[in-house]
Amino acid sequence: MTEPAVDIEGLVKRFGAFAAVDGLDLSVAPGTVHGFLGPNGAGKSTTIRVLLGLYRATAGRVRVLGLDPATHAAEATRRISYVPGEVRLWSTLTGQEVLDALAALRGRRNAAAEQRLVNDFALDTRRRVGTYSKGNRQKVALIAAFAAPTDLLVLDEPTSGLDPLMEELFQRCVREAAAAGRTVLLSSHILAEVEKLCETVTIIKDGRLVESGRLADMRYLAASTITARPPGGQADAVTDRLRSLGVEVERDGARLRLSVPRPLVPAVLGVLSDVESDDITCTPAKLEDLFLRHYAVAAR
Amino acid sequence: MSLTRLLVRRHRMTLGAWLLMLIGLCAGTVPSYQNTYDTEQQRRGVVELAQNNPATTLLYGRLPDPGTPAQMFAWELGAIVTILAAVMAVLLTVSVTRAAEDDGTLELLRGCGVAPRRPLRSALALLAGLAVVLALGCGAAVGLATGHVDAVTWAGAMAFGTTIGLTFLLVSALTAVLAQIAATGGQARALGFVAVGAAFALRAFGDVKRVDPLAWSSPLGLRAAIEPFTADRWWASAPALLVAVALAVLAEVLSGRREFGAGLVTRRAARDSRLRLRTPVGLAARLGRSSLLAWTVGVAAIGTLFSTMGSAAVKQSRSGDLGGFLESQLGTGDPAAAYLAYSDTVIGIVVCAYAVLSVLASRRSEVDGVTDLVLATGVRRWLPLAAQVLVTAAVSAAVLVATGALGALITPVAIEGDDIAARAFAYAVGQWPAAVATAGCAALLIGISPRLAPLAWLPLGASALLALLGNLLDVPQRVQDLGFFRHMPDVAGPDPRFGAPLVLIGLGVALSLAGIVATTRRDIATG
Repeated sequence: MTEPAVDIEGLVKRFGAFAAVDGLDLSVAPGTVHGFLGPNGAGKSTTIRVLLGLYRATAGRVRVLGLDPATHAAEATRRISYVPGEVRLWSTLTGQEVLDALAALRGRRNAAAEQRLVNDFALDTRRRVGTYSKGNRQKVALIAAFAAPTDLLVLDEPTSGLDPLMEELFQRCVREAAAAGRTVLLSSHILAEVEKLCETVTIIKDGRLVESGRLADMRYLAASTITARPPGGQADAVTDRLRSLGVEVERDGARLRLSVPRPLVPAVLGVLSDVESDDITCTPAKLEDLFLRHYAVAAR
Repeated sequence: MSLTRLLVRRHRMTLGAWLLMLIGLCAGTVPSYQNTYDTEQQRRGVVELAQNNPATTLLYGRLPDPGTPAQMFAWELGAIVTILAAVMAVLLTVSVTRAAEDDGTLELLRGCGVAPRRPLRSALALLAGLAVVLALGCGAAVGLATGHVDAVTWAGAMAFGTTIGLTFLLVSALTAVLAQIAATGGQARALGFVAVGAAFALRAFGDVKRVDPLAWSSPLGLRAAIEPFTADRWWASAPALLVAVALAVLAEVLSGRREFGAGLVTRRAARDSRLRLRTPVGLAARLGRSSLLAWTVGVAAIGTLFSTMGSAAVKQSRSGDLGGFLESQLGTGDPAAAYLAYSDTVIGIVVCAYAVLSVLASRRSEVDGVTDLVLATGVRRWLPLAAQVLVTAAVSAAVLVATGALGALITPVAIEGDDIAARAFAYAVGQWPAAVATAGCAALLIGISPRLAPLAWLPLGASALLALLGNLLDVPQRVQDLGFFRHMPDVAGPDPRFGAPLVLIGLGVALSLAGIVATTRRDIATG
């Protein structure tokens, strides 16, 4: 199966005059974990709601598991697990009854997986949902999503409200899902989480695509940050040598701060160690830098 | 003060609608009491009968001498407006106190440096303010009829307005106390309604058995204590005011002794139970289970009580001495059948209110985001609303059949006449088409846009107004026939007509289908 699990081309979703999504492309290969990043109001949730057939696209071509959600929402979502950012449930039912209801409506269930997840997430399913905290409601939705025998998981900021231990567990569940051949679309604000889990990411802002592709390739574009303190009197000479390599140099007193494209890192470190600089640090680029850079650019 | 203003801003539509309805009801009905009786002798006869009639005494209280049009108004319409004011008090008090805690908005305010005691104080200030507006508004509405309706005076009108305002204040303060005790806002509302029911029973019992202190001690019996248009006993409002203040203080004390978001009574949070269902209809039925029970018991009990109270009215109507509101309800024809038709129309109105509330529940799920989760399991887009409408229709039928069956068993014992049991059953069940039509209106509105959903109360309100006050207000019959009520076929009569009920059912089905189709053509709404 080489057809993308999610395939969006030129999606436009307008609410009145406001375009929440404006010409977005998104493609998620089957069996991958795809990060979906963007600041608040970027149009992530709107896109997801179009994918699920809850919103009707104003324009563009949308295919989920090969189906058009505008006409075949039920067929598509039967094979999708969805966890919304803010989980609201029927407050008079118990956690167990909610799991029963969601599984029954889907018509497919993996009771053993569900029981295992209930234990792993340490959720007291005998309590009424009305007494649950936000995190516990989130757990109910996550358990239902991971336990359901589905091909695609659509997770919309699913870890807001979970404690760090549960986040760890969540990451394990995502990896297991991917290992089992399921596709995961993970919308998130937590960059560390996306870095740990996703092979490919799509970054959007103001409803438009900013960047999309393999994470490894994107980091390549971003630069490592190197700082060092050359011995007194050599700073100018070092700066000139580094500039001749094509590196931007920022000077903060005796301290140099460099943003270095990855292929140049060995050469730059060579120059710095030649003159026996002190306090050399080299930090590889993080997704966060990429993220901030895009937002800063777009904000201009 | 700013918190009170925020509350007004947040609830202004509801507040406005209630005030407009109650004040409008007073203003609209006062003039009709002037022309109800043609001769003085006729009026005297009616007054004497009404004074000795257990049924009307139970419903409205005791009619004071000499039974002027103003006194008739305060006695009859006053009873209806008093009950409405009490219902308004329960609903509003809960929505400005516990409901704001349950939905989390109060938490936000408390986090903004609002002192723990201020939210309750602001709510009480708002309710007190409303009581004053209600008193002045109703008083002015009636007072404007001075000179047009016999015995209506400004002093009496203001005393009348004061009883309405005080009733509202008392029930509000009582509900504020209950809101500190109950585990949730919904429970507080239920307790409030039970309290209003108990107040009605206390007043009715006191009036029928002529135990005045009992009647006066009920929040719904203030008219007997203050006696607007009779004695205008202003000082009698002082005890009620004191009790209201004491209750408000009690609410304050209790609020300091409970946790935020929880009442003094806690409820068992855990239970071992599983859910066995296959379809959204099953889910809607399970979620509506508790309301099915409450509505069935409530409607069947109150409806049957109401039917059995009719014996005196029926006798009076037979001798041609009935007047005012009840006469406008019974009209001519077989009095027993007419009374049953009237009491079952009231039941119909109540069941239609259930139908609106029940269909509106699907709108709340949608706005809350629960519908998202349901649809994401592969459920078809149109199914949640269809399931809700189906369950609403089924529960309405169950409530009406239960009410009809209980009525058929008990009413023949109380009322003499032909085919009482058959009529008691058929007239109750005959309200079902109205419920289906009402549910259809709500479904259509939600289908088009959840934002329009509150308009679903309009057809019900208009139909109820036409059915209850149409004759009194001299609305032409052609217009009255447009209402959803009073169309049940007289199965025991010579020529039962099923046309109108079939039209209503057809209308309900067509509107529901249109609404269900409309949902598939729009985006799911989010809050």
